[in-house]
Formats: sequence, C-alpha cells, structure tokens
Amino acid sequence: MLIKIAWRNVWRNKRRSFITIAAIFIAVFLAILMRSLQLGMYENMIKNVVGSFSGYVQIHSKGYWEDKNINNSFEVSESVLNSINKIEGVSNIIKRVQTGVLSSNNKLSKFLYVTGIEQEAEEKLTDWNKRLIDGTLLDDNGQSIIVAKGVAKYYDAKVGDSLIFIGQGYHGMQAVGIYPIQGVIDMKNPNLNNMSVFMSLKSAQDFVSAKNRITNLVIDKEQYFNEVKIAEKVKSKIDIQSRDVMTWKEMTPQLDQLIEADNAGGILIIIILYMIVGFGIFGTVLMMTQERLYEFGVLISIGMKKSKLMIILIYETIFLTFVGVLVGFVISWPIVNYFHYNPLKLFGAAADQLESAGFEPIIPFMNTYDIPLVHGFIIILISLITCIYPIIIISKLKPIKAMNR
Amino acid sequence: MNVIETKNISKLYKQADQEIRALDNVTINFKQGEFTAIVGPSGSGKTTFLNSIGGLDSPTKGQVLIDNKDITKLNSNQLIDFRLTNIGFVFQSYNLIPVLTAKENVEFIMLMQGASKSKRDKRALELLEAVGLKEQLNRRPNQLSGGQQQRVAVARALASKPKFILADEPTANLDSSSTANLLDIMSRLNEEERMTFIFSTHDQRVIDRANRIITLEDGKILSDINVK
Ligand SMILES: Nc1ncnc2c1ncn2[C@@H]1O[C@H](COP(=O)(O)OP(=O)(O)OP(=O)(O)O)[C@@H](O)[C@H]1O
Ligand SMILES: [Mg+2]
Repeated sequence: MLIKIAWRNVWRNKRRSFITIAAIFIAVFLAILMRSLQLGMYENMIKNVVGSFSGYVQIHSKGYWEDKNINNSFEVSESVLNSINKIEGVSNIIKRVQTGVLSSNNKLSKFLYVTGIEQEAEEKLTDWNKRLIDGTLLDDNGQSIIVAKGVAKYYDAKVGDSLIFIGQGYHGMQAVGIYPIQGVIDMKNPNLNNMSVFMSLKSAQDFVSAKNRITNLVIDKEQYFNEVKIAEKVKSKIDIQSRDVMTWKEMTPQLDQLIEADNAGGILIIIILYMIVGFGIFGTVLMMTQERLYEFGVLISIGMKKSKLMIILIYETIFLTFVGVLVGFVISWPIVNYFHYNPLKLFGAAADQLESAGFEPIIPFMNTYDIPLVHGFIIILISLITCIYPIIIISKLKPIKAMNR
Repeated sequence: MNVIETKNISKLYKQADQEIRALDNVTINFKQGEFTAIVGPSGSGKTTFLNSIGGLDSPTKGQVLIDNKDITKLNSNQLIDFRLTNIGFVFQSYNLIPVLTAKENVEFIMLMQGASKSKRDKRALELLEAVGLKEQLNRRPNQLSGGQQQRVAVARALASKPKFILADEPTANLDSSSTANLLDIMSRLNEEERMTFIFSTHDQRVIDRANRIITLEDGKILSDINVK
C-alpha cells in the first residue's frame, strides 16, 4: 500500500514528474555516453600501444630498462614460465630479444630496433595476419625478416630485397648479418612503424650470439584482470633481485598521464552535470514536501507513523529517479553498442594529432555493464541524499501546526 | 465507565503582550456510547479541547486520562500510536487521502494497524455499505461530493474500531441534506455499535440530535446538559 500510494503520488503532478524524469534521463544518458566514449577511447589507446605490442606486464633483467643493451639479457627456465602461466588472468607469455642495429642497403642507412619473436605466441597478442601488408609471416627456423611499413617506405624496399644489420652482440661479440625481407607489416603506430624489424627469436639470438637468452618476457592478460595484481603475483614467482617486473603504466608513463589528465576533465564535467541534476531533483522533492505539509499533518493525526510517511517520500523520489535512469539505460545502451562495434572515425586535426601520437584515430565506445550501473547508482544515491530534506521536515512536523496553515 | 476524563486542563497561548486562555481548568468525563455536541461561540476553545483529548495537542496543565492512562505524559511517537489505536478522527474538510479510492481510504488505518487483507476487505465493505457508499467504493475523493467524502471519512474513522470518534465541525462544509444524512449515519452507528461520538458544531440541527450538549465559553464549561 505504501508503494501504491507513493506511485500514485508521483503521478499527481504529471508535468513536474515528467520534467524531473526527463532531467534525470538526460543526465544518465549523457553520463553513460560520455563515459563510454572516454573509457572506450582510453582502452583503444592502451590497446594500440600496450595490447598490441608491449603487453600489460614485462619482465626484464635488472638494468635493462635504463640501458637497453643485449648484455642486460637473461635466461628464463621452463619451470619459471610454467609458474607464471599458472597465475590467474595470464593469457600468454612471449619471449623477445630486442636490440638496436644500424641497418643499410646500398644507398641508405637507418637506426632500427630488431625484435626476435616467436611468431605463434606473438600472434596471440598482435593480429599479425591483419597487419601484414605484403609477404608472409615468419617461421621459427627462417632467416628472413619482416619490416614495418615505415621502414619499407624509407628504403623503398619490397619483399625479396635485403637489409644489412650491424650491431653489438653479447659480451662484445660482433653482430653482423644480411637478411632478406619476407614481409611488410603495419604496426598501426607511427613510432613502431618507423623503427621496427622482426625476425625469428632463434635467428635474433644467433645474430647477437646469445643462445637461449632474451631481453623481454612479455606477459599478456585476459580482459578485466588487473595488470598490477598480476605483476605482484609474478614478482613472487621470480628472483626480484635480478629482475624487474614492469606494468604498462611504468613502461609508458606518458600514456598513463595523458589518460589520467583527460579522465579527470571528464569526471569534472560529470560532477557538474550531477550537481545540476541533483539540484533539479532536490527542487522537485522540496515542492513535493512543501505542498503536502497539510496532508502529512492529516496522516500523522490519524495515526500514520512518521517513519512510514518518510518511506513513502523516499519511494516517490526513487520512483522518479528510477524511471529516468531506466529510460536512460534503454536509450543509451543501443547507441553505446552501435559505436562499440562501429567505432567513431575521427578526421581532420583531431585525427592527425592522434595518429602522430601513435594511436588509431577511432573511438570504439566501451560497452561494459559497469558504466550504466555506476551512473544509475550515483543518480539514485543523489536522489536518496535529497530525501534527507523531507525526512527532517517530517520528523519535526507537528500535525496541528501543519493543518492550521 | 468513563472513556475519557480530563482533570483541570488548561491551555495557554502566549501572544506578544497578552496571554490567551484557550482552555481554563476544564474537568469533564465522557462515558462509552455518548453522542456529545460541544458548542460555543467562535474562539471559545472547542477545537483546542478536542485536540487535547485527541492527543494532537498537549494542554499546558492538567491531565487527560483515556482508559485511566494519562496521555499528556506520552511523547509524540507514542501519541501517534495512541491515536492510531484509540481514536477515530473526522475533520471539517474531510481530509481523505487524495490518491486512494474510497475503499482504500477506509482500509488505510486498518492497514497501519497491520490487519490482514481479508479482514480489511470485509470491514471496509461493511462500513461503506453502512454509510451508503457501496456503489462508490472505487472512486477517488475528487470524484465524490463533499457529503460523500465526509461519509467515507466517518467510515475511515470507524474502521479500526476506536474507543471514540472526535469530529471538529464535521458538517460545516455540508449542505442540509448531506448534513441530515451524515447525522443519521452517525447516530445509527452510535446506537448499533455503541460508538462514542464527540463533535463540535455551530449547527442547530446537529445540536438537536445530540444526547449531551456541552457549552464552552472563554475556555470554561458554561453548561453540560443531558438530553435523553
Ligand atoms: N496556535 C494558536 N496560537 C495562539 N492562539 C491560539 C492558537 N490556537 C487557538 N488559539 C486561540 O485559542 C482560543 C480558542 O481557539 P479554538 O480554535 O479552540 O476555538 P474554537 O472554539 O474552535 O473556535 P471556532 O468555532 O472558530 O473553530 C482562541 O482565542 C484562539 O485565538
Ligand atoms: Mg474550532
């Protein structure tokens, strides 16, 4: 009956209820869309940089990050690999040897990063098939290389051409080799595209005379698992005296800072939005209370407990909010999903800016449930806070005074 | 047996420079089944008196005993419970709950008391029939005339089987035929259910139906007449 009374009370002033519901709807709708866009954009940025190449967590030999030198390489045993693999949320472990080389053909030369990879493991992280523009993928025993598209463009090289690499090998050994190009890849990131060359792990280890040694152990995670927690667990499995365990935030702090700063701006806008809506809801609750003081006086006179009256007012407020939130969910969800599967494509200056920073100029909206749930919850919380007003008024209400007005 | 006893109740209102004695040492008893009219000129203290014995207002001085229990000692939450179980109220301006139908209004107090659905249904129908509104049970107050609304209010007041019913000028907003109709119903309920009614009024036709007439003036009892 209390619920029935509350529900009917909501519709006593239809126009006001509609306006309030509309305001709540717009707030929820905008908040969900904004957050889906922002978080989706960040996720895409992280995916571009982290998910597609550096991985969420990496293990290096101590000192490697400061001095990326083949002498700071390490060996990793099967038992360590197995124990890392068993950590919950770890989806893939990739061994890499990375080293800087001076490359040249007959006419030009250029500094490049050579990465020795295990093609099969690497493919679980990076969608090589989709990114390969020309040629074929590596095989584990081959002696050929795949160059990123910027490198191919620099040398004006095609599949079948060769590049010469000169570098420093392990413990002062000479590292020299000539490698035919068997493929060209688009790393979807200008920096990587201008610097990257790939060969099989084995031929990279041969090149630097460091059999069985690697420089980076890349650990990829399953979606929704927290990389910091995984990194903590990894640390417990290895000798942290001689190894560094780094998350992507530590490896690319600029990206993390960029996201944090942008995110703070977004949250500020949403806080302002919620404050406006909060006052809107409060205004309605205030009127709902003030115009019915006489009625409250009657109800208390005939024996209605004040607590029950408060509950009715809370129900009324929640109904108003709930309808608005629900409509907000129902309308925003298909839109969010549409832009999740059909990302917004940016163009013009914004697109150029993103691209030059190494990101794809697209925004796939984030469509996880927690976004609408969080924002629905916040609005309901705000409306509950506004209920403090009628609760105070009712608790102080003297029935004959209220009825004498 | 006395349902209500007041012992020297006074109510003082302090206003700016002067003191108003709305009730001045009123000592009076009411017995089960009485049908009492409280009369007197405007400002004589009728409303103040009804509010005092109804636990809506506390007298400045004196005791109000309902079934030998002094209600002036109760706090405001205890008074709400006390009113819920002991008193039926009928107001001058009906004061039905606007969003509830006639039947739901009658059920409302029983619901507050935690009566079962079947019990509420039965009693509400019985009372609406008694006040002649069986046909209108699903109407909301704004679809009923003033007289009909007041009859619903009487049914509501009776629903919880209170010890007595207080009505402050219940017919003041009604035309003469609605007044007559309401009085018929009230006096029949008074006879059939032995329900105690105490009402204030200015209306001579209402006074004529009472079996006890108390006249107030300046907060004092001027006369107290039994007319059987
Ligand atoms: N809240 C109040 N503050 C100050 N004085 C009050 C208050 N309520 C009532 N009074 C005074 O107390 C006296 C009694 O008022 P009360 O309302 O009981 O009279 P009444 O007999 O019901 O009058 P009426 O027939 O006009 O309804 C009046 O003089 C009135 O002005
Ligand atoms: Mg009065």
